[in-house]
Amino acid sequence: MTLEALRLAAADNLWGAIMPELMLGCIALLLLGLEIVLPRRLHGVIPDVAAAGLLGTLLGLALNWSSVAVGRETFNGLLFHGTSGQLMRVFFVLSALFVCLLARVTLPRHTAPRVEFHHILLVVTAAMMLLAQSNHFVMLFVALEAATIGLYLLVGYFRGSTASLEAGLKFVVMGALSSGLLLFGIVLLYGVAGNPALPGHTTQALHFAELSRFLAANPDNFVASLGVVLVLAGVAFKIGAFPFQIWVPDVYQGAPTPVTAFLAVASKGAGFAVLMALCGQGGAFAAYGWLTTPVLTAIAAATLLFGNIAALTQHNVKRLIGLSGVSHAGFLLLGVIASAQTPMAAGAVYFYLFAYLAASFAVFGVMAHVAGQDDSEQELDHYHGLAKENPLLGAVLAIGLGSLAGIPPLAGFMGKLFILVSAFQAGARALLAVAALGVVISIYYYFGWIKAAFFETWTPPSGEGAGPARPERSPVTPVAAFVLGALALASIAIGFYPGPLGELLTLR
Amino acid sequence: MGTGQILFNAFALLTVVSAAGVVLNRNAVNAALCLLLSLVGVSGLFVALDAYLLAFLLLLVYAGAVVALFLFIIMLLDARGDSRPVLHRLPLAARVIATGLVLGGVASFLVRGRLPEGRAATTAVGAALKPYAHQLFTTYLLPVQVLGFLLLIAMIGVIVLSRRPDGPEDAA
Repeated sequence: MTLEALRLAAADNLWGAIMPELMLGCIALLLLGLEIVLPRRLHGVIPDVAAAGLLGTLLGLALNWSSVAVGRETFNGLLFHGTSGQLMRVFFVLSALFVCLLARVTLPRHTAPRVEFHHILLVVTAAMMLLAQSNHFVMLFVALEAATIGLYLLVGYFRGSTASLEAGLKFVVMGALSSGLLLFGIVLLYGVAGNPALPGHTTQALHFAELSRFLAANPDNFVASLGVVLVLAGVAFKIGAFPFQIWVPDVYQGAPTPVTAFLAVASKGAGFAVLMALCGQGGAFAAYGWLTTPVLTAIAAATLLFGNIAALTQHNVKRLIGLSGVSHAGFLLLGVIASAQTPMAAGAVYFYLFAYLAASFAVFGVMAHVAGQDDSEQELDHYHGLAKENPLLGAVLAIGLGSLAGIPPLAGFMGKLFILVSAFQAGARALLAVAALGVVISIYYYFGWIKAAFFETWTPPSGEGAGPARPERSPVTPVAAFVLGALALASIAIGFYPGPLGELLTLR
Repeated sequence: MGTGQILFNAFALLTVVSAAGVVLNRNAVNAALCLLLSLVGVSGLFVALDAYLLAFLLLLVYAGAVVALFLFIIMLLDARGDSRPVLHRLPLAARVIATGLVLGGVASFLVRGRLPEGRAATTAVGAALKPYAHQLFTTYLLPVQVLGFLLLIAMIGVIVLSRRPDGPEDAA
């Protein structure tokens, strides 16, 4: 190997193209450095440094929206920087920023270390940002594992709580199984696409475009279709789609509330970014639409029904929001299916994700304030009288839940509408009916929650052993009030005036 | 049947039988040793594919380091073979369905998963040490860096999670 050859190979490593991810990585290291350097009494500012770093990254992203790298491959084809990648970067940074805010409310109630929490959070965010832009299965798997291993740690983070440890263990076992399925699928695809006896074989079988070319040349290969199905199963685990949703309720309940929010929003968004890259228009599996469309349709229908029906009977709000998140995954799958045929559907999926982000973090923000010392036991009863005692939290909760339920004119309604319209254009009529049924069911349990907060009054349990008292609510700081209010306003504003987000729908 | 075919069959048999031993053994130490045997079988298969580097790495890293670590931990925890609770018996229907699914999957793979006869498979680029290392430093530089961060958070996470729960509180 001459020096010249090395230089040529390294020329494509355009580090400037992943500046936001590099920034987050450096800030994560900075946090650890600060913990060593700063005296103990100043350690309280370190989480603020993390939040400031995230804000700076967001600002940098906004200023460099159409940078040189957009629309091209870098790192020898490992990454592709498209508009959707830019959107998902913003999505993950926003999620991490809101998780920082929730952590300010939740973490001080426990003895868990805070600096390491933010360090892991930043690294996971950067890994997800790379995941959403990966254009190669090696990059995809490495970024996915970095994100998932960070999430294992965060789920089991409250070491003193049995529920958190149980959730962590279950998440590790299920996550290892799903990684195994995904890896097995990737290996099968690599093996069959590198077979010299098949037409269109390639030595770069892990590159999405090369793989897509191979699959188009062999539209009916059994081993390749097995690989495609296994990869889809691995991703379905990550987004919590039926029948791979069994880990969702326990893990969501046991994880610390900020981590539950991160799992529900960012982790699901990452899974859908991968699905769009694989199954969307011009994706790696585009030639296997005859296989992916029926498989995803069956998964989506079962996910929509299961998530909504299972959420009906829940009294623990974390389990409720977890199972309702399963049904949202079903809705998003509907958009992914439609995106193979309708260009508008891809925009609809991203719009839905952003509407889901605003509504979910509004609800999780209220949950973090209402939760007591025991983070896993958050019952619907604890919400009794919330609107009267704290009108701000009550209003934010109502708007967030209304948006999740899809009540016009909130953002969630517009998201659902766009997905349904694109599914109609793509001709998925039967699935449309299932989705509409799911929406009707979901209104029941979302409104049960609103009813608990608005129309029930809290009566303390009387007598000996009459059940535990309601946990102490956290005071709402001005920053938290501002952010929660902004999230609620965003849900309303996006609904009335989709604005720049609405332009997504015309994107390719 | 040539020598290569005989070796392949022998190593494949060793891999599958000892992998079954990992799952079926009730004694954790024996299960770990079965895993070791299974890894030896897999590395034999890699040798048959001319992938000497992978075979060597598998023996060195997994069989040498990881399984040895497993054994240390098992000894440390002093887990006895009889301490594992007996699994609940599955209903007959579930057993029949599961067996049917597995057999159906294997059968369909045997029938339809045949690769076309023809030229022998080529050796992958990373099968030898020099091109492998070259690729790590050029094409796959970014994933290697990401893996560095992965190991960092794994290490930090282990430290956080293994600290005593009632230990000194972090500055709040």
